[in-house]
Amino acid sequence: MANSDEEKQSQTPPNSETTAEGDREENDVVEEDENEDEEEPEPPHKQHKSRESQLSEHRSRMENLFRRMQRERVNLRVHDLIIKGNTKTKDSIIEAELEALKNASTMQELLDAAGRANARLQQLEIFDSVKITLDKGPPELPDTANVIVEVVETSSPFTAECGAYSKPAARSWTAEGTLKYKNWFGYGDLWDGSVAYGPNQTSEVSAGVFLPRVKGLSTPVLARASLLSQDWQEFSSYKERSLGFSLNLLSTKYHDLAYNLGWRTLTDPSQMSSRAVRRQLGHSLLSSLKYTFKIDRRDSSMRPTKGHAFVSTTQIGGLAPDHRSLRFLRQEFDLRYAIPFGFYRAALNFGISGGVLFPWGQGFLNKPSPLPERFFLGGDFSPVCSLAGPTAMYGFKTRGLGPSEPRRQNRENSDGPGRDYLGGDLAVTAFADLSFDLPVKWLRELGVHGHVFAGAGNLSKLTENEFRNFSPQKFLESFRISVGGGVVVPTKIFRLEANYYYLLKQHEHDRGKTGFRFSFSPRF
Amino acid sequence: MEEMNTENNWREEQNFTLVVRKPCFGLPTACPSCLPLYLYLKFAQLHFHLDFSSIYPDSDQIPYIESGDYVAYNNENGGVIESLKKDGIADLDAEFKSVPEWISTKAMVSTWLGDAIMYELWVGSDGSSAKMIYYPDLPWPIGKVLFWKQCQTVMLQLGITKDNAEQKQEEIYNRAKIAYEALSNRLGEQDFLFENRPSSVDAIFLAHVLLILQALPETSVLRNALLEHGNLVKYAEKHKMEQIEAGSSSSSVPQFQSGPSSSAPRKGPSNWSSKPKSKSKREKTKEEKTLRKRAKYFVAAQLVSVLLFLTFMNRSDDEVELDDDDGYGYDD
Repeated sequence: MANSDEEKQSQTPPNSETTAEGDREENDVVEEDENEDEEEPEPPHKQHKSRESQLSEHRSRMENLFRRMQRERVNLRVHDLIIKGNTKTKDSIIEAELEALKNASTMQELLDAAGRANARLQQLEIFDSVKITLDKGPPELPDTANVIVEVVETSSPFTAECGAYSKPAARSWTAEGTLKYKNWFGYGDLWDGSVAYGPNQTSEVSAGVFLPRVKGLSTPVLARASLLSQDWQEFSSYKERSLGFSLNLLSTKYHDLAYNLGWRTLTDPSQMSSRAVRRQLGHSLLSSLKYTFKIDRRDSSMRPTKGHAFVSTTQIGGLAPDHRSLRFLRQEFDLRYAIPFGFYRAALNFGISGGVLFPWGQGFLNKPSPLPERFFLGGDFSPVCSLAGPTAMYGFKTRGLGPSEPRRQNRENSDGPGRDYLGGDLAVTAFADLSFDLPVKWLRELGVHGHVFAGAGNLSKLTENEFRNFSPQKFLESFRISVGGGVVVPTKIFRLEANYYYLLKQHEHDRGKTGFRFSFSPRF
Repeated sequence: MEEMNTENNWREEQNFTLVVRKPCFGLPTACPSCLPLYLYLKFAQLHFHLDFSSIYPDSDQIPYIESGDYVAYNNENGGVIESLKKDGIADLDAEFKSVPEWISTKAMVSTWLGDAIMYELWVGSDGSSAKMIYYPDLPWPIGKVLFWKQCQTVMLQLGITKDNAEQKQEEIYNRAKIAYEALSNRLGEQDFLFENRPSSVDAIFLAHVLLILQALPETSVLRNALLEHGNLVKYAEKHKMEQIEAGSSSSSVPQFQSGPSSSAPRKGPSNWSSKPKSKSKREKTKEEKTLRKRAKYFVAAQLVSVLLFLTFMNRSDDEVELDDDDGYGYDD
């Protein structure tokens, strides 16, 4: 085959996936290309040969080739890699994505690797189009091919995006606008500045850089500096402001490792906080490493009908030579499972989430845990979508359950002092949600469906020697329980729900309410 | 007498906690705004627990005193001492309030000597004392930035610029020396500045003297100026021994006088309320709050309906499942 003049092309239009499987697809592509590309003008006497016979000759050759590829190994290796079209982007960046091609030893492997390389180069977001062509190698070297990579760099390095995202650091969703500058130094670097705004007057201004390849590291590096401010005055009488720097050290499909350095300040401008919150006001240095392991095999994150998901997040704070930085250990996990029923696209989703937080270091048994790191339950979002630890609880308002303390007395407020919700060091939530299509065809087509659900959750304090009074039985007995049902409208940006909640069990100071409410859950 | 004993017992039951900055330089608290309050409570024989705040050096709320739901912050009502007087908890100044000399002495001690110690801690010295008082428990980068910020704030407050630095320094030191001279003459050989009984002026001045003598380095100008007045040094040492080191008041300290408002025994927390710190924006009435809430819901509903409309309009073109397939990840 190497001696023939056949030319194979693997051409892909921008923003599409390349597949190397499927004879039919290959046939179509190659045939089309054969028609488009003529190497040299035909000498006049050959024009007498009819077009149909030429085509049928080519076709039979291709069919022979593909039959050979299906039945046996077609040995082929890469002799030379030629990169064209990159004026700004460094060759090394493109070559790094083509490593697999160099190691391919058969035609099949080569086509497969070419497809994957194409997709990776598209993912860098710095090219408008990527074309990988396989050409025959030098005649003196049989079984070789040259790979020609033609790229078209983006004409406009600026892009703007906006959307709604969940922000684990902010403990809520945020609407974010981002401006990106691509490929400033030619290393595939992506610079971005963004502004995000969310509930509880959450606002964040941040800037970041993404480097796909750093010397020695096979995974990309993402660094980000941000200024985040959140107002928890209404729920816990404090405002939080954090100046932080984060560095993503490892980011693969299943694993994520990030280092965070931050200066956090808690203030209380209202001067109405409870004693526990008063003691936590001030400055702290956060230096932590966070490892996340995630498997999500559900068929959809907006409306899962089958599959499972598991997320485990471990955070260790206090990794600094200075022993005065915030020292804590935080572990949370999420488990989700969806079982399809087959009729009306019904599915049962159930899940359990849990988390524990504890300080470490000298005198850790008596120290309180840092207030912003604690677990808080409640809020208008669905546990079906979220994989962010124990946070969602049907029917309860934001930070609406768990340990609380009375605020400072205010004579002018005749309702009596409010309460500060302090969160907990141990949190467990569980839910079951049965979703089903509605009988109206029009709603089914729009993806609108109904659901009934039940949820339970509890928070407990363990620090400052409270763990001595902790008993699993008491913890189980004090679980809050709620049930309900409603309609779900999945949209591109978020999942909107209109639900009726009924609280079966809540405690005296909890802020849960039986009734009808909307909820918004961003895509995770 | 019975009334006073009842009040004493009731005050003892209230479990006051005084939150101050950490002890340093052999003093129970080395912060210039916390030590006067500590000494005032000691003079007033009010029993309290001490608690420390070490992570909020730039707060103007500290020191504060708390008991149950009641809290008196430093930045309300002109200070915690004034709050305690107003709420009838501890008032040593009842009989001095209309004495002009007492008022002007208090003003001189609060302003001239207050400015002097602030200058000496943050600007006049190398700042090592201030760092030990305010930033021992904060990590180095935070402490460094806050120290620099506070130095700038103090210079702004005292009106010090590059051009007038020397002149300002001279002015501050001169005023302090004049004040020491006047107070030394005022004190004589007595135990207290006025009528041989303690008042808030004694608490403030004594705190100042103790800090100058113990927290500042030996090269300090203020310290050397103070050491010239032997009776002031003796005054400080005597009260330090009695109030701080001994832990109990000496017999020469008279019983404090109760507050002037009524002779009936006071009720509990309902009389102790303090107004929250009022901000520039006015208080909202209930109706305004409901109106704001409704307006928010209205805007949110509009936004949601627009988004839904846009989504449904595009629904036929898009796939229902919007999730990405398992793409070509980095470890594929």
